[in-house]
Amino acid sequence: MTLLARPDAPPAVSDRRRNSPDRVLIGASVSLALMGLLMIYSATRVGLERNNLPASFSMERQMIFVAAGLILVAVFSFIDYRELRHLAHIIYGGMVVSLSVVFLFPAVKGAQRWYDFGIFQLQPSEFSKTACLLTLAAILARPAARLEWQRILQALMVMVIPAALIFLQPDLGTMLIFAFLLMVLLFGAGISSRQALVVSGAGLAVGIAVFQFGLLRSYQLDRIRVLFNPNLDPTGIGWNLRQSILAVGSGQLTGKGLFQGQQTNFQYVPEQGTDFIFTAVGEQLGFVGGIIVIAAFLVLVWRLLVIAGAARDRFGALLAMGIASIFAFHVLVNIGMTIGIMPVTGLPLPFMSAGGSSFLNFSICIGIANSIWLRRSPVPGEVIHS
Amino acid sequence: MKFGARLTILATVFLAMFGVVGIRLWFVQVAEGAQSAEIVEEQTWVQIRSEPARGDIFDRNGVMVVTSRFVPRLVVDRRFIDPGQKDALIQKLSGLLGVPAPDIEAGYEAAGLNGRFPVTQVSTDTAYRINEQLSALPGVSIEKLPQRVYLAGPTAAHVVGHLGLPDEADLEERPELDLNARIGKLGVERVYDELLQGTAGYSELRLNRQSEVLEESQPVNPIQGASLYLTIDLRLQEVVELALESGVFLANEVKDEDRANGQEVNHDAFRAAAVVLDVTNGEILALASVPDFDPSLFVGGVDAATFSALNDSKAFNNLVIAGLYPPASTFKAITYVAFQEENLPLPADLPQVNPADGLVHCNGTLRLPGFEEGSQQIFHDWYTGDKGWLNIHDAFEQSCNIFFWSIALGTWREYKLTDQESIIQSWARSLGFGERTGIDLTGEAGGIVPDRALFQEWKEFQLENPDAPARLEPSRLDLAEGPFLGGDLMNFAIGQGELTSTPLQVAQAYGMLVNGGHSFTPHVVSRAINRDSSVAYQNPSGLGEQVGLSPDVHSSLLSDMNRVVTSGTAAAAFRDFGSSIDRVGGKTGTGQTIANNDNHAWFVGAGPLDSPRWVVAVLIEEGGSGGRVAAPVARHIMQYLMGESPTPIVEGAAAD
Repeated sequence: MTLLARPDAPPAVSDRRRNSPDRVLIGASVSLALMGLLMIYSATRVGLERNNLPASFSMERQMIFVAAGLILVAVFSFIDYRELRHLAHIIYGGMVVSLSVVFLFPAVKGAQRWYDFGIFQLQPSEFSKTACLLTLAAILARPAARLEWQRILQALMVMVIPAALIFLQPDLGTMLIFAFLLMVLLFGAGISSRQALVVSGAGLAVGIAVFQFGLLRSYQLDRIRVLFNPNLDPTGIGWNLRQSILAVGSGQLTGKGLFQGQQTNFQYVPEQGTDFIFTAVGEQLGFVGGIIVIAAFLVLVWRLLVIAGAARDRFGALLAMGIASIFAFHVLVNIGMTIGIMPVTGLPLPFMSAGGSSFLNFSICIGIANSIWLRRSPVPGEVIHS
Repeated sequence: MKFGARLTILATVFLAMFGVVGIRLWFVQVAEGAQSAEIVEEQTWVQIRSEPARGDIFDRNGVMVVTSRFVPRLVVDRRFIDPGQKDALIQKLSGLLGVPAPDIEAGYEAAGLNGRFPVTQVSTDTAYRINEQLSALPGVSIEKLPQRVYLAGPTAAHVVGHLGLPDEADLEERPELDLNARIGKLGVERVYDELLQGTAGYSELRLNRQSEVLEESQPVNPIQGASLYLTIDLRLQEVVELALESGVFLANEVKDEDRANGQEVNHDAFRAAAVVLDVTNGEILALASVPDFDPSLFVGGVDAATFSALNDSKAFNNLVIAGLYPPASTFKAITYVAFQEENLPLPADLPQVNPADGLVHCNGTLRLPGFEEGSQQIFHDWYTGDKGWLNIHDAFEQSCNIFFWSIALGTWREYKLTDQESIIQSWARSLGFGERTGIDLTGEAGGIVPDRALFQEWKEFQLENPDAPARLEPSRLDLAEGPFLGGDLMNFAIGQGELTSTPLQVAQAYGMLVNGGHSFTPHVVSRAINRDSSVAYQNPSGLGEQVGLSPDVHSSLLSDMNRVVTSGTAAAAFRDFGSSIDRVGGKTGTGQTIANNDNHAWFVGAGPLDSPRWVVAVLIEEGGSGGRVAAPVARHIMQYLMGESPTPIVEGAAAD
C-alpha cells in the first residue's frame, strides 16, 4: 500500500486497530448472497437438467463469485478509501476505455455489453458505476464554501461520457443509474435549489429529446408501454412482465414452499436466475420471504447512510452516500420491475442475481463502505483533509 | 443545509420508495395473489378437444337414413410448436401430405398463437405412416374426425337437410359455435342440431414453457349425439319421390302434346311437391320436393359452382312448406264445409240458382245482372257445355265453379259489412290457412287469407308508400265501402285470387276435415333418444281441438271425395286404381297463376275413407290440369298406401 500512498496521505494503519468492521453491513450482504445462491439453484435447476447439466451448475458458479466477492470486500476494506481519490482519474480513464472496447466484441442477446473470456464474461458497465461514483465524489468533495457551476458542469461531463457509451450498448437501466447517482451526489454536495432547478430542467430536456428523436429502441419503448398497460400483447412483449407478476402474485402470503411452484419449475418466467430472481423468492417464499429480502436491503442501505454520516471526510461521505444510492436504485428498479411498477431493464438484484461482474462490483462497494467505516474517526492531531 | 440534514432527507426518500415497493408487493401477493395463483395453475394446462359424432337418423321403421363414420385427419396444434421449428415442420408436412406449403402456412397463421387447425384429411395408410413419425413432428397429431354418411343419398333430402359451416347469423344466435365445425344448415339436421351434435370429449395436458407434456389427465370421451327417429317411412318416401318425378315428366309430355295440338304452352314444368301425412297425429309419412339435392355433397364442404347451380334451381327450397300457390279447387272443400255448417245463403235473384232446393245450373257461365250497379258481369267456368242442375255434392264432384261462386255471392249479399262477412275465411283460418303449421323444419311460409281487414291494411300501406309495389289496383282505393269486393270473395271461394297456401297447409286442412275436424301439428321427428337410452325429445303428437265439423258434413265430404275419384274430375286418373277404390277419395285443383304462366296442377287424396288414416297432397308447379297430371301421381301413391299394385303414371282427363 505504501507504494500507492502519496506523501500527503495520512497514515492509515493506526486507526484500523481501533475500529472494527461494520458487522451488520457485511452480515446483511452475506445473508443476501446465501439467499441468492438458494434462489439461483431453485430457479435454474430444471432448465439445467433439461440441457443435461448438473442442477447445481449455476449455483456452484455463483459460489465462486461469492468467494471472490468476500476476498474483494476484505481487500477494499484494507485499502484506505482515500487512496482511491487520487487514483480516480486513472480509474475513470480505464473505465471509458473498457466501455469503448466492448463494442469490438460480438453482441450477446442483441447487446454489446460483455467481454467474453470463454469461462467468464466480464461486464465492464457493472464496474463503471463504481468508477463513475469515485470520480464524481472526488470532484464534488473538493473543499469550497459553495458548489460552483464549474464543478457541476465538470460532474455532468464525467457522468455523460460513460452514460452515453452504455446507452449505445444498449443498457438503459445502467444509464439511468448514472443520472440518479449524479442527482444524489449533487444533492449531497450541497447544490442550491436554483442550481437544482436548472440541472433538472436540462435533464428533462435531454430526456424529452431522447424520446422525440427516436433514440430509444422500439423494445425499450415497448417495455415502458407495457408498464402502463400490462394487458398489451400478453403473449408478446407483455409476456415477461405478465409471467413475472403472476409468479410473484401466486406465491401469496407464505409462498408455495421451497422448490415448489409452476412458474419457477415450468420455466414460465424468463431470465429467472438473473434479472428476475425476485420472482423465485416471491413464488416460493411468498410475501413473507419477499419482505424479509426487502428488509435486508433496507438494513444495508441504512448502514451505508449511517457510514456516510460517520465518514471522516467529505469524499468518504459522498462515496458512501453514492454506494447507498446504487444499492437502493438497483433494489427498487429490479424488484419494482418484477411486480409491475418499473419498466423491464437489465438491472440485477444486488448479491442475489446470478452474474459475476455485478456481484464483484457490489462486493467492491461494500468493501469501500467498510473501509470508510473503519477509518471514520480522525486520529488525534491529524489534519482533516477536506 | 448541513450534510447531515441532506442525508436524513435522502434516507426518508429511500424509506418511502422501499415502502411503495412493499405496499405494491402486498397488493400483488396478498390482495390479488389468489387470483394470480389460479391463472398460474390454469395457464399450464391445455385442453385438447375431441369431436363427438353426430347422432344417427332413422326412419319410422328403424331404417338407418343418416349415420356418422370416423375418418383420420391431420391436425396441427400451435401450442406445441416452438416458433423456430415452424418452417421446417411445414416443409416436412407439405412433403408428407402433398399439400402446398403456403396452404399449410395460411392455416397456421389463421389459427392464432394458441390455435389448433386441421391440415387435411388423410387416408388410413398415410395416417399409419405419419403415426410412426409423430415423435419427429411436434404439434402434429392424427385425430378421428366424425363425418356424416347419408345412406339414403338424395332421398328425403329436404327432411334430412345438410350440414355447413356456421355463418354470421348462426354465430350471433349461438356464440359458442366453433368456426371450423360443421352444423346443421337445413332440415332436421338444422332444427335438431343441438340434440344431434353430441358432447365433445377432451383431455387435458400440463405443459412447461417449452410445451413439453408434464402431466396428462384422464381423457373424457366424446358422446355421440342423440338418435333421431323420423316420422318418414323411407319406402313410401321413395315411392313418392319417384311418382313426383314421373309427374313432372308426365306434365312435360302433356305439354308437348298440347303444343302439337296448337295450344298455348308457356313453360316446361320442373318443380313439384308432395306430402303424405298421418291424419291421426300429424306425422309426416313422406315429404318430397323436386328438384332436390344430395346432402353428401356437403360432407367435406361443397364447391361454389355446384352450390350456386343448385341454389339457382332452388333445389334447397322445400316447396311443400315454402312454396306458396293458390290452392285452387282443392279449396272448394273448405267452402263446401262452411256452406253446410253455416247454412250459407244462395242468391235468390239469379235465374240459374234455385236457393230453395239448393241447386245451381252449371251451364258454363254465371251471369250477374245488376251485381254491381248498372253493370252486367259474366263469369266463365272451366268447362264447356252443360252439366245440368247440381246440388252441393254434385258440384264438389264436378268441381263446378258456378255453385261455389254462388255461395260466395249469397254470403256477400247477406253478410256484407257485418261480422259474418268473413265466415268462409274463418273456416279457412281454423283449418290452418294463413298461418304457418309449425312443422319442425325451417323455411316455412304462412300464406295469405284475404278479407276486408287485410285489403284495408294493404290500402293504407299503399297510400302511405306510393312508391312501393302496389297490391291493389288504384281504382279500388277510392271505393266507398272499402277495397274488398264481392268478386274477391267469389275468387276466394274457389281457392283463387289473393289466397295462397303451401302444399302442407292444404294437406293439413284436408287432414283435419277427414279426421273429423281435429287439429294437429305436422311434424317429421317423433323422438330423439340419447346414447344412454334416455329420451332426449318426444313429439307430443296427437289431436287437438275440434273445429266444429259435424258428423253429417264429415261423412258427406268423405263420400263426395270418393265420388271425385269414381265419377268426378279424377275418375279418369283413378280408372285402374284397384278394388279398394271405394275406400279412397280426393279433390283435384288447377291453380290459375299470373299471365304467361301455366296452371299449377293439384290433387289432394285421402284414405281409407272408412277409417281415415292419411292424406296425400301433390302439386306440380305449372304442371297444367290437376285431373290430368297431379291426380295420376297421387293415385300411384294412394295405390301404394292402400296395398294395391301401383300402376304407371299416365295422363288423366283434363279437369279443374
